[in-house]
Amino acid sequence: MTQPAVTFDHVSKHYRGTRAYRSLRDDITGLLRPAPAPVAVEAITDVSLEISPGESLGIMGLNGAGKTTLLKLMCRIAYPSAGRITINGRIGALIEVGTGMHPELSGRENVRLYGRIMGLSRNEIARRFDEIVEFAGVGDAIDRQIKQYSSGMQLRLGFSIAAHLEPDIFVVDEAISVGDAGFQERCVERMTQLSHEGRTLIFVSHDLDAIETLCERGVVLKSGRLAGDGPAHEIVGAYFDEVSFARPAAMERSEIGGGGFSLIQVGVVDHVGTAILEVPADQPTRIRLRYRADRRIPGTSFTIGLSAGAGRCFVLASMLGTGEMHDVESGEGVIDCVFDDLPLNPRTYEIWGSVRGAAGYGDIIDWQRMSSFKVVRSEPERKGAVMVAMRVPVRFPHHWEVPSR
Amino acid sequence: MTARWEPQLEPSVASGAEQRQQYVVDSEAKLAGTLRSLRETWSYRDVMLAFASRSIRVKYKQAAIGLLWVVLQPLSATLLFTLVVGKFAHVSSEHAPYLLFALCGMTAWQFLSEALTTSADSVVADSALLRKVYFPREILPVAAIVAAVVDLAPSIVILIIFELAFGYWPTVQWLALPLVPIALIAGALAYGLLPAALNVYYRDVRYVLPFLMQLGLFLSPVIYSLSSLSRPVRDAFIIFNPAACAIDGFRRILLHHEWPQWLLSAASLGWCLLLALVTYTIFKKLERTFSDRA
Repeated sequence: MTQPAVTFDHVSKHYRGTRAYRSLRDDITGLLRPAPAPVAVEAITDVSLEISPGESLGIMGLNGAGKTTLLKLMCRIAYPSAGRITINGRIGALIEVGTGMHPELSGRENVRLYGRIMGLSRNEIARRFDEIVEFAGVGDAIDRQIKQYSSGMQLRLGFSIAAHLEPDIFVVDEAISVGDAGFQERCVERMTQLSHEGRTLIFVSHDLDAIETLCERGVVLKSGRLAGDGPAHEIVGAYFDEVSFARPAAMERSEIGGGGFSLIQVGVVDHVGTAILEVPADQPTRIRLRYRADRRIPGTSFTIGLSAGAGRCFVLASMLGTGEMHDVESGEGVIDCVFDDLPLNPRTYEIWGSVRGAAGYGDIIDWQRMSSFKVVRSEPERKGAVMVAMRVPVRFPHHWEVPSR
Repeated sequence: MTARWEPQLEPSVASGAEQRQQYVVDSEAKLAGTLRSLRETWSYRDVMLAFASRSIRVKYKQAAIGLLWVVLQPLSATLLFTLVVGKFAHVSSEHAPYLLFALCGMTAWQFLSEALTTSADSVVADSALLRKVYFPREILPVAAIVAAVVDLAPSIVILIIFELAFGYWPTVQWLALPLVPIALIAGALAYGLLPAALNVYYRDVRYVLPFLMQLGLFLSPVIYSLSSLSRPVRDAFIIFNPAACAIDGFRRILLHHEWPQWLLSAASLGWCLLLALVTYTIFKKLERTFSDRA
């Protein structure tokens, strides 16, 4: 039986101390009177995890959930406060890529130095030098001093060195968000390649699409604890829903707007007018805006957009486009936007909206995220479903056909 | 509840070999042995040399007269002391030209002060690296000391040139000359590791060190003669202050055509190696939280 590549056995890590640095003065005065007990920050709490060789693991979690700490523990950069970590194989890590390069040295000198620090031999560096430079796309700038590089170039060079290590275990922390689109594509390619070569891939990202594409297994961290572990497509789906739904509770104001006109409720309602969060796909869908006005506002235009995240809407229903108008009466009122059909893939969507008056300039209520809902389908989720939904929200009616000869 | 990495096999990171390696880190493990850490340090010698060569490159990258600074620094200090101390203070120069006498002192002291100062700063200066890649952290101060050794060589050459210019011709005792830097390097290792580690925790080190270096200059027989001290004090100086040991060696060989004081020098070397081992162990313990603190 093969040994696991990485084993975490009840590992905890806490950082202690509230101050950035301690000065000698503090310690000397501390001798005289007992200092207040330092507040320990629990970054990782009792995590047990086993990663098999060749497995590709995606780690998800909100900011501060302990993802980076977990990676740093794996790479021996940080030491655990409790527990036991066993690593089998050579680790290559992409953490804080692009930092630590020396500004006074040329790109060439930095590649040689950092290649060696990160575990390449002199021969390996000589052999892969051209490849590294080409991958980074820095071209002739390789002989210029790093301090003359743009920050993007620095990052690309840093990633490129690390990406050309040939580790048994490849650890990547959010590095994909580095560089331009073309570079990102090369990074994903490189990771896929390493993974296919049978190397263990451990990958932290907020890009759930990338995790589902690259990883077989997903793990969710929540406040330093393991909160989910399973096949990537399932974990990604569950995590995505959780994050999307976690937001309204934390961020959604009960009332949007103010100064005479406000939206007091935005969301999907069913045929009897009850607010619902889960919406069946391919059904007529009614988005209700409940507002309150302290005066009559004639000629108001409402705009509703549906977004799959990242703020861009793929569906826009706007009175501004059609020239319709609605006269808002003083008091509370309701207006519904009805979609006859909602051919959407199952996932969470955001409702965006704005309200514009006929008189004056600008919007009464600025374009903003107002609410969210989740589309569900009755058919069972299969691997790839989340990926498809994440990439494209709309599902056009279609079928596959083999034309008869 | 502190953690400790225990490399169970020879790590192959530095050699780049594709052999497998295993690391176990166990927060409950007892202090398992400095010997194992030392073996790991040794396996990273290649990376250490890469760091040292970086320091040297960076140092002279933008200096117009480059390496000349290495010899100019001790020379100018020596000239100053010759003018001030040699002319006005009437200090015994052991019957040798004061310039030569002081240059013996400055050559040794300059190295030690440079080695200690750069090694104290080494870990903090590379804190960005500490957060992104693993390597045994002690290679940073060691690399700083190695880089200082590279500066020591030309300044010894200058010392010899002056020696010849003053009409002191080589004698058989010169064969012992290469032993003097050994005392200095051992001294730098012994006294350089701890400041490097402490600097991560207390930035005060950075402010205290220049003062200690000034103090060290006067605690070393750079501008005065060891013979002006009483016997036990003189011996204690040689044993515990590697600069004194080296300066005594230089002067005996170059000015008096004598052999170094073997027994005292061996005692000094022994003390430095013991201290280096102790501070290394402390360094390895402190190292665990470097990346949290740096």
